[in-house]
Amino acid sequence: MNLETFENRVLPTKNKLFRFAFRLLGSSEEAKDIVQEVLIKVWNGREQMAEVQNMEAWCMRITKNLSLDRLRSKQRRATDPIEEGMEIRNETLTPHERTEIHENMQRLNEMIAALPEKQRQVIHLRDIEGYSYNEICEILELDMNQVKVNLFRARTAVREKFVKINAYGL
Amino acid sequence: MDSKHIEQLLEKYWNCDTSLEEEQHLREYFRGDVPEPMKEVAEVFRYFDKQQKQQVNSPDFDAVVKKKIRQHRPEGKLVKMFYSYGRIAAGLLVVVAATYFVRQEVRKAYPPEIADTYSDPKLALEETKKALMMISKGFNRAQKEAGKIKVFNEAEEKIQGKALHETKEKESKI
Repeated sequence: MNLETFENRVLPTKNKLFRFAFRLLGSSEEAKDIVQEVLIKVWNGREQMAEVQNMEAWCMRITKNLSLDRLRSKQRRATDPIEEGMEIRNETLTPHERTEIHENMQRLNEMIAALPEKQRQVIHLRDIEGYSYNEICEILELDMNQVKVNLFRARTAVREKFVKINAYGL
Repeated sequence: MDSKHIEQLLEKYWNCDTSLEEEQHLREYFRGDVPEPMKEVAEVFRYFDKQQKQQVNSPDFDAVVKKKIRQHRPEGKLVKMFYSYGRIAAGLLVVVAATYFVRQEVRKAYPPEIADTYSDPKLALEETKKALMMISKGFNRAQKEAGKIKVFNEAEEKIQGKALHETKEKESKI
């Protein structure tokens, strides 16, 4: 891979990588760091990646792994993991963004942030990024069954906590 | 698209049976005006839509990445070789330095027993000669004294010779 291919094929995935890292980490600064790390890693390993068929899924997979590593080292350092989680959720939005986004949007954001890790990953990849099930399997290193189960649970959670409660005022 | 079809599609969606195309249909449908009961679901799909538009919020991101890529050189064989030799050299240096300092400490702790006592070499030679002469005199005297031991040897030989003679005589008699 030369610099040109890198700029045309890898660099344009940065926003997708960023959104995924952001979904996992909850901090835009850290997500940006991770995306940089991923891109440099891809560039340095470009010889081994010659046979990679789906470059984008490959990049997403590295993003997932680096983000989870970061998250775990952060949790190790944190004295109180519950507080750490709260912090992530509050950090998700800057005050400026908070006023901009509709109240419902923020509620959905918080709801998805509160989902278990795998469900959060799967619903992000399917419903926000629109990846096929096969690609999601490749990115998350899960089998089809696990992907579908996690997606079903995530969608059900959204439906029950958001759609039904709002619609029937329960 | 009629709302009945959408309802069916939604039910499929909640059961995770929709294809990507069908999900895209739903997204597009919910972008527009929707009937009241669908409003909540519409919020969800609009949320997904909006999330997908989020971008890296720094204009110099590409430039930073390209710069880092150019700066970053994967370490070659030569660098690795120098690195490992450097490690060995550093280890040796530590050993040599340690030996040097330990030696100095030992020297300080135990001052040498033999030290120069004469500054004039001729005088030293004379003194040495005197000392050697004294030793040689001593040797000579000791040799003379040791000569007396010969007497014992002679005596022993004589006794043995006599004894041998007697046994021979006895044997001839028998």
